[in-house]
Amino acid sequence: MSITAETAKAHAHDPAVLCCRAEGGITIEPANLEDPAIFDDLVDSGLLNLDGCLTIEEVLGAKLVKTCDSLCPLTADVVEGAKAPSVSGEVQEQKEEQGESQPEEAAPAQTAAVPAAVPGGILKIHIGEGRDIDLEIPVGIIGGGSAPAAGSVPETVKAAAAETEEPAQQPKLIRSLTRKHFHITEVKRGPETKIEGTVLCIRDDIEKECIDSEELVYDLKIDIITPEDYHTYSETIMDVQPIAVKEGEYELGSGVTRVLDGVVMMVTGTDANGVQIGEFGSSEGYLDENIMWGRPGAPDKGEIFIKTQVTVKEGTNMERPGPLAAHTATDIITQEIREALKELDENLVVSEETFDQYRRPGKKKVVIVKEIMGQGAMHDNLILPVEPVGVLGAKPNVDLGNVPVAVSPLEVLDGCIHALTCIGPASKEMSRHYWREPLVLEVLHDEELDLCGVIFVGSPQINAEKFYVSKRVGQLCEMLDVDGAFITTEGFGNNHIDFASHHEQIGMRGIPVVGMSFCAVQGALVVGNKYMTHMVDNNKSESGIENEVLACNTLCPEDAVRAVQMLKNAMGGENVKAAEKKWNPNVKSSNVESIEDVAGEKLCLVENEQSLPMSKKRKEKYD
Amino acid sequence: MSDLKYGDKIIRMEGVIVEVHDGAVAVDLKGRLGYLKVPVRMFISDYPIKVGQEVAWNMSFVEQLGPEVNEKYVSNLDTYTRRQKEMREKRK
Repeated sequence: MSITAETAKAHAHDPAVLCCRAEGGITIEPANLEDPAIFDDLVDSGLLNLDGCLTIEEVLGAKLVKTCDSLCPLTADVVEGAKAPSVSGEVQEQKEEQGESQPEEAAPAQTAAVPAAVPGGILKIHIGEGRDIDLEIPVGIIGGGSAPAAGSVPETVKAAAAETEEPAQQPKLIRSLTRKHFHITEVKRGPETKIEGTVLCIRDDIEKECIDSEELVYDLKIDIITPEDYHTYSETIMDVQPIAVKEGEYELGSGVTRVLDGVVMMVTGTDANGVQIGEFGSSEGYLDENIMWGRPGAPDKGEIFIKTQVTVKEGTNMERPGPLAAHTATDIITQEIREALKELDENLVVSEETFDQYRRPGKKKVVIVKEIMGQGAMHDNLILPVEPVGVLGAKPNVDLGNVPVAVSPLEVLDGCIHALTCIGPASKEMSRHYWREPLVLEVLHDEELDLCGVIFVGSPQINAEKFYVSKRVGQLCEMLDVDGAFITTEGFGNNHIDFASHHEQIGMRGIPVVGMSFCAVQGALVVGNKYMTHMVDNNKSESGIENEVLACNTLCPEDAVRAVQMLKNAMGGENVKAAEKKWNPNVKSSNVESIEDVAGEKLCLVENEQSLPMSKKRKEKYD
Repeated sequence: MSDLKYGDKIIRMEGVIVEVHDGAVAVDLKGRLGYLKVPVRMFISDYPIKVGQEVAWNMSFVEQLGPEVNEKYVSNLDTYTRRQKEMREKRK
């Protein structure tokens, strides 16, 4: 298909290939040329060889010396009067160097770069969609009639930022949240639920109450898994939850929260026919082979698990009430522990941490949009319970129509999401994930950014509903007047449709967006649009797949650092290179290196499934 | 995972929705070519999902990756089916 003059300009430095047969003697115009976006596939399949091919800017206006067939690459011997490449080597090199110093993961999308000189001597470059972008910048625009001195981009950005933010306004403390940690070293059963020193005792007959509480729950078994028992078989892990309670009359998201260290709740279960609840999340097997320790949502090595194995009525495992009943029944145990924790003596506090939520007027205002599942059954989340990660008082986002719900960053860190968690064990965000959300923590502590809040938006099943909620997200961001937005999602599937739509709705309002998702090989985006130019892949697995290891491919601090850096670049109008055609893990490592170079400190990367005792399956099949 | 010999042989398959759950959809492939059950999240829908609706998707053939048996999966499957049997007997 021929291209327009505009496309030709955007692809000025891409190879010039005829789109259809052209007679000798014609003057080459954009209409004679093929869209470079399709070349990768043609080259891969051997249909096209671009060796010695001139660029589009070189051939435009030149004469074709002989008749050529369609898809003929224009080389010097068939073209007369080709122009010389317009960019001076010096400037180009500098730009490339700058390009490399920026994070550069993007959705596999097409692109167009539109440079615009802006009053005030700042050069803004907006990259819509595209690939292989070379920028041509007449040195005059930059000011002083000379090219900027060679130097890293972040320095330039900082300098510009310093100028504009001179009348610095003081950060304003909005609220604080203190976590008081209590340590548990042993969990046992006994006549009553209590905590003595570092020993947690769970009432012997508590199971009966759990079973009686829910009509659909036929049975509930509690297993206490100590580190010595990690090599035991478990049904699919549905959720991992912190055990925490608000102190006194404090409300979720502020004041004081008490939390038990060294122990977590773990929900597992089947229906009465023995079919897994959720059915599709196959992390069943030996715990130590299936858990990616230390992920924000997963248990840490050394912790004790209070694991419930819930049996729900046959056939309800894939219906909405089934998973909800399993979670509600488990919460009876957690609630009783919470009450014991609430009464605990202050002397037993081992450590305290305080999270301060500041608004930073004058800094770039950003919002975090977290897409959570809302398709139904286990694709659901309970929002804003009374107690951290509780059930009471919370509203399922499916019942709320999946519309965006605004929460404070501290509410997120205080367990405002009780995740029923769905499929894809490696990429699902469990309740504990929100309790330790790395992106919220990273942005909360970044003094260069003004985090105005977090928006949770459900992902409904039907497309029309997806676009309905997505438009509300866009409107909300418009009203918030943010300078930038993060959009995160968990796992892959039809939720990527609304993920893309959120990018569009926010991006079309001129707000730079950075998207975060597990993509790699298996979770490649199902759709894209021209606003999906800044993407961070949460993949950690060696082969880029759903490796059935719990929480392996979820958002980690290293991803948060990259996303923050990328959004800063996007808001500063910096160029971010388009993604390569196929997933390439080196993009992440070179981005990490660039960030390390600029920050001057090492970014510790988390381990992946290779650090676990290797099940035979993984060794043979995947890696 | 480029070990598929026929991975690029993409064919359009059609099917009929035979089960609708809150969290999953099951499809019979037309022509009795099999049965597919997927979580709703992996199912793209423009309308409320109903039994009898026709669906289509592109797929390729299922190929063996090798002759070896993965003992972990065999053991998980054994445990799983044994447990299902026990639970069914308990209910009788």
